[in-house]
Amino acid sequence: MDAYFYIILVVGLLSTIICAVAGILKKAPNDTTILSVAAVELSLLVYLVGSIVRVASGEQIAGEPWEFWGYLLTALILPIGAVYWSILERTRWSNFVLAAVGVTALVMAARMNQIWY
Amino acid sequence: MEEAENVSAKSSQAAETAQAPTDTRNTGPGRLLIAVYAIFAISATARAGYQILTKFSEAPLAYLLSAFAAVVYVVATVSLAKPGRTAFKISLVAVLVELVGVLVVGALSVFDAVNFPHETVWSLFGRGYGFIPLLLPILGLIWLYRRRPAASV
Repeated sequence: MDAYFYIILVVGLLSTIICAVAGILKKAPNDTTILSVAAVELSLLVYLVGSIVRVASGEQIAGEPWEFWGYLLTALILPIGAVYWSILERTRWSNFVLAAVGVTALVMAARMNQIWY
Repeated sequence: MEEAENVSAKSSQAAETAQAPTDTRNTGPGRLLIAVYAIFAISATARAGYQILTKFSEAPLAYLLSAFAAVVYVVATVSLAKPGRTAFKISLVAVLVELVGVLVVGALSVFDAVNFPHETVWSLFGRGYGFIPLLLPILGLIWLYRRRPAASV
């Protein structure tokens, strides 16, 4: 597990907790919850840029490279899709949708780490 | 914020008393259910596609099962998101198939580990996915029951 994973672990868990608490408090998605999901997207983008740099500088991915990139690109789409889905109907339930992003991202980041090393 | 909550609370009460004129399931908790189904549809499709493209000959049965599970999740996601009675029936069948699938495959993978050594979404009752595959069809059935179309029409 590398720094990219731990960044996503922390940001993802925080985002999930923020969104889940907002959902439990019966709040609709607001700036706080949407920005927390944006932070997950940002940390995934950092992972993307970092990975491109590492591959460009000659590092080898131990597993299947296209499986790694597939995971990363899918993970990058998730927060965007979740925010889109949640603002179509702004109820407390949409915050639980947003809460799902963080945990999913960290599970996927763990898998990406396994593929890389 | 509180106003929005009040409005949605009122409208959901109205929907229950007047029995949702549009006959949809993509609202309230249904949206969370659909989102989780969508995540499983994507991950199961990607996983099955990967397994079939790279190592199909190792365990054709397990990987075909993976692909079948992926199709079930895709059908469930789409039909839950669509309004109408036909979509309701399709959802019901998809969720029931999913429930039977996770129970049968889960049991087989426990009792006949020799023939089911390769991982699918439903292996060991979905343990590799935090048992969500086992929970999802149960929640799906509850939601479909609560949102069932009126008997007449």
